[in-house]
Amino acid sequence: MSKSNCRILVIVPACNEERNIERVINDLRSQAPGTDYIIINDGSTDNTLGVCRRSHFNYLDLPVNLGIGGGMQAGYRYAREHDYDIAIQLDGDGQHDPSYIKEMVTVLKDKRADVVIGSRFIEGQGFQSSWTRRLGITFLSRLIRLCCGVNIRDVTSGYRGVNRRFIDIYADEYAQDYPEPEAIICAALHGAVITEMPVVMRHRAEGLSSISAWRSIYYMIKVSLAILIHWPVLRKRYN
Amino acid sequence: MVPKLLQTSALVGIVFYFAAIYYLLRKKTLALKYTLMWILAGLLMAVTAMFPGILTRFAGLVGISTPSNALFAAILFAILLILIALTSIISSLNDKTTKLVQSIAILEKRVRDLENAGGASRSDN
Repeated sequence: MSKSNCRILVIVPACNEERNIERVINDLRSQAPGTDYIIINDGSTDNTLGVCRRSHFNYLDLPVNLGIGGGMQAGYRYAREHDYDIAIQLDGDGQHDPSYIKEMVTVLKDKRADVVIGSRFIEGQGFQSSWTRRLGITFLSRLIRLCCGVNIRDVTSGYRGVNRRFIDIYADEYAQDYPEPEAIICAALHGAVITEMPVVMRHRAEGLSSISAWRSIYYMIKVSLAILIHWPVLRKRYN
Repeated sequence: MVPKLLQTSALVGIVFYFAAIYYLLRKKTLALKYTLMWILAGLLMAVTAMFPGILTRFAGLVGISTPSNALFAAILFAILLILIALTSIISSLNDKTTKLVQSIAILEKRVRDLENAGGASRSDN
């Protein structure tokens, strides 16, 4: 993994994660040696920036809050600018276990996929989310399978990795708020090979998840709309 | 058909409307690019005020029995179109802001790294 010819960047979005970020980065350093990381401090109002400074972490400091989509895209732009071969997204709240990075990188390096998604539903272990959330995820998953011809079960998982080609694509176009399912659609539109690999996710260690019940309804409608807009292109490709 | 007084007051109103647009343009608080749709709306209003017969014909054409209702319907529709145009302008502004914020953050990191490297070499000397 630490071969010098393959440079790996772990993008760690963090919005108000002062109590988690240190542990996440320490975990990452011990579990995934040979990778670089960049924290995206997305306009945090707590002391996330202070923690990053004090610990001499590698970070980007967004002067205003852009939301997870704009933050992640900043990470991809950074990855492109610094010529990375592989980018891995790892949440700054500690629910993603960095020990899976090694396997993700192997999948991408062996050219088995352009985009690899860490799925908590393949083996069904660890934190599984509430049943309402799972219902929504199942609906989106079916919709994406129907329209894009890719079978992804955990479409909202933010634990994923992409190769150089998709670093470039995501640096140019990345969906804004709640971007995960749309990023899959975008990858499908660009003809990506997308695979899932089983991961075990943890409960958030501290703080609150950013998605509430009402927002998930907005989320469903927005993603369905995104698919419908691209429907003509997708249908042409997969029929 | 339409009272002369009503027609005159409508035209006076439209003159004030154009005066307001002109004033804002002079003050440069309104970009010419976005003024075009307001000027177009003003011209439509002026034409309707000068030739109210258009309204009666339009009402008959789309099946509205009273011309005044046709006027309200047309105005509502025009306002909706302008609001959609505004939403599209906001969307593109939002997109530009996002890109700028990302660029600033990336540049800020580069400056910080350079300063740190410079500071380290100075302290070595």
